[in-house]
Amino acid sequence: MSEFKLSRRQFGAIAGTGVAAAMLNLRPSWAATYGSDELIAAAKKEGKIVYYTADFTEPEQEVIKAFNKRFPFVSVEMVRAPGGQLITRIKTEAAAGKLLADVINHSDRGLMKGIEDLFQDYAPPNAADYRTDVAISPKIWPKSALGWSIAYNTELEKNPPKSWMDLCKPEYGPKKIGQVVGPSGGTTWTRIMFERQTFGDDYWTKQAATQPILYPSGAPTSDSLVRGECSIAVLLYNIAYIKKRDGAPIEINFPTDGVPLNFYATAISKTAANPNAAKLFMNWCLSEEGQELPIKSLGYLSGLKKPPVNPPGWDPKVVKTWVPNFEQYVKLREDWIKDWNKAYGYRQ
Amino acid sequence: MAADTTALASTIGAAGTEAEGVRRERWRTIGRMVWSTLLLLILTFLVVYPVAMLLLGALTNTNPVVDGFGAFHLSLKNFTTVLENPNVHLALFNSMVACGGGTALAVLIGLTFSWIVVRTDTPFKGFISAVSMIPLFVPPLVAAVAWSILASPKSGLINTFLKWFDIDWRFDVYTMGGLIVIFGIYYAPYVYMFTASALRNMDPSLEEAAEISGASATKTLFTITFPLIAPAIISGTLLSFVVMLGIYGIPAVLGTPGDVPVLTTYIFKLTNWSPPLYSTAASVAIILMIVTGFLVWLQQRVISAKSYITVAGKAFRPGVTRLGHWRYFTLGLAVIYLFVVVILPTLAIVVAAFRKFLFIRNVASLFDMKQYSLIHFERLFENPLAMRSIWNTMEVGVVTALVGGVFAFAIGYTVNRTNLGGRKVIDVIATIPVAIPGLVIGVAYLWAWIGLPGGLYGTIWILALAFIARFMPDTIKALSTSLLQIHRELEEAAWICGKGMLGTIRTIVLPLARPGVISAMTLLFILAIRELGSSLFLYTSNTMVMAVLLLDYYEGGNVGITAAFSLVQTILLAVLIGVANLMSRGGAGDGIKQAN
Repeated sequence: MSEFKLSRRQFGAIAGTGVAAAMLNLRPSWAATYGSDELIAAAKKEGKIVYYTADFTEPEQEVIKAFNKRFPFVSVEMVRAPGGQLITRIKTEAAAGKLLADVINHSDRGLMKGIEDLFQDYAPPNAADYRTDVAISPKIWPKSALGWSIAYNTELEKNPPKSWMDLCKPEYGPKKIGQVVGPSGGTTWTRIMFERQTFGDDYWTKQAATQPILYPSGAPTSDSLVRGECSIAVLLYNIAYIKKRDGAPIEINFPTDGVPLNFYATAISKTAANPNAAKLFMNWCLSEEGQELPIKSLGYLSGLKKPPVNPPGWDPKVVKTWVPNFEQYVKLREDWIKDWNKAYGYRQ
Repeated sequence: MAADTTALASTIGAAGTEAEGVRRERWRTIGRMVWSTLLLLILTFLVVYPVAMLLLGALTNTNPVVDGFGAFHLSLKNFTTVLENPNVHLALFNSMVACGGGTALAVLIGLTFSWIVVRTDTPFKGFISAVSMIPLFVPPLVAAVAWSILASPKSGLINTFLKWFDIDWRFDVYTMGGLIVIFGIYYAPYVYMFTASALRNMDPSLEEAAEISGASATKTLFTITFPLIAPAIISGTLLSFVVMLGIYGIPAVLGTPGDVPVLTTYIFKLTNWSPPLYSTAASVAIILMIVTGFLVWLQQRVISAKSYITVAGKAFRPGVTRLGHWRYFTLGLAVIYLFVVVILPTLAIVVAAFRKFLFIRNVASLFDMKQYSLIHFERLFENPLAMRSIWNTMEVGVVTALVGGVFAFAIGYTVNRTNLGGRKVIDVIATIPVAIPGLVIGVAYLWAWIGLPGGLYGTIWILALAFIARFMPDTIKALSTSLLQIHRELEEAAWICGKGMLGTIRTIVLPLARPGVISAMTLLFILAIRELGSSLFLYTSNTMVMAVLLLDYYEGGNVGITAAFSLVQTILLAVLIGVANLMSRGGAGDGIKQAN
């Protein structure tokens, strides 16, 4: 059995490093990543944040749980509402001088850009690590990103479609594919904009010819897929991934001909009652640790140039991502949604 | 001299009494005016002001709070856009057919069961009565999810069984017929509540007279009994129709896959799109209000044309029709109803709540116990919002039922039992909220009340106020049916005996109307607990309520947790309603005893 002994020189080196570290007042690395001692102390004093989000309750609760593992002294009080309702609430509260939110997280970057004045200047410690091509304002940051995918029920579909063009094949109709309607929100608008800009003006007509089942949002679509109401569904990867993770009989493909991405827009309100706790929460969410959990366990993507991990099934060398031009995203929306409604016979 | 003095004293005494009488009358007049004004002021705050905001929203394209009152331009553009849109015409047509058909079925079921429970010797009546109210506790969204699990043409459990039995025929709940049936069976309790209470409080002497005159039981039922409880039938019919018109959950879950759009799903789309179109939604809501307002006006004309007093100062027991062997037939009807409305959907929700996933390949897979677990309940209670929402909901439910019940009684009594000036206006204003769809009224309350000083926003009270306002017509109608049946001679007798107005209410009216008051408060409690539309904009992180969290889970695509949570909600409600039911035991008979 070998005996572990330190030589006098080794001991001296270690002791010297320790003293130097103490003299330089080195803190644990997480403190530098998430904020200064002063910020953390001030956040502890505030003790909570009010968090408005358009994302789903369950994944948000998992993220909050992970945040509280790191910072148990900041409780996160969440208000979750669908996009349209959330923006109406924020605008009305702000106009009445009663905006209760400290942090706001919304899937529609166009709508968030429209209320940019309500947010305070903020940048996370790792701001330089974030993609600049998807930035819409120096005040607004992407807490997470979402990618579109094609999911299918493994009990019902043995020859699943692998691309967006496959979804136009007659063999996947009628009433086999579940689709979220175009006007449902920012994420769906991103998808249909991608479809038309990438595959041409007649893509919607060809796809609509398969007679897909139209759903008002992603949630009932994913539920129908699991139950077997439809055997294929065009879904955001995170919505389908949670079901697959928990054992539902579904598989998910990232389409070979492109994955449209939608970045969340997250900001701290100018009138935040708990500005330090809000900053700490944002710093953590945008840090590598804060990005890793949603990617690994919940199927989200990231706005980081080099994400710490990739979601299961995502090979960055193979997957071709697509991000909308923000100017066109705002400008084309109304007219193209009308065209989409016409192509799919959707009554608006 | 002595005689003169006596005469003078008597004259002075008479003059004094007269002056006292005049003074008392003056005070009474002032008191009446103050009372009417007070009620009108409260109603203005609760109803007129939010409706004015809604109208302002419909006539402009602005958010009144954000853009201020000076920045808008009045225009009818939203109305013309909506009225010219053929999709709105289709949605309106579908709404009328679904709610009209649903109401007809609800009246048929509700009236039949109230008669079976109150006026026949069918066995196990208490049980039938208790269980037939259960559909009322189930939120529409949950009912629809349950029926989608049961009767979806592709994966419905009933259809899975039919396939197992090699039967080719399939149920399809994603159709107009499906909507009508689900509306009908879930809103029958509204009709039942009104008609059972009226039948229970009805003096049977007219029926006895008909029987003595040789009329058959059926003829008596259709020519005496039902016409006498016409106010209750009409109120129940109208209320169930109007409530159906405002329901979103059922047409959203069942109408969407089959492409049967209705007005509420159209309004939801408008409020949920990015960017949301609240002004257009408000104009659709105003159109709906006009249609409903016309129906309410029609109902009041019909009721006010006749006298329906059937409770007088005489003790009685409602007559019971002896059905002989037919009583087993009526019991059979009740059992079928219970099976279809309570047992089957509850089983579907239980399966959804305990099963890990709802993919059910065949009948054998349904009974594969490996597929079941408590995972959804564990996840539900891991979320700290779940317990908080339960506590908040109970708190807001109790506050709404108590404060709303007292306020509704004050209005109901003023409108139905007094001749105070302004009572007609009070009645009309108090009825307005019935006509506003819940999905839109929420934003109207937010626009109206957020700017109020005093920190109301963000508290339980703002939710309670919204619920009281929103369900005032339902509560008042439930109370008025009981109040209309009490003969004025009972109050007059109390006045002659020297009781004042409040004393008469306390000793005569309240005891006699007790079943109606308790059932109105119970109804208010249930409606408050289920209410989603008005909560959506008024809840904050501290005042999250169950209905909102339930929708969050549904919108998150997790039917398992949604089912688990609705099971918890249903059990809680059933326990609380059971307690309320025990409290309301007694009724007119007890009331008369107390009054004597």
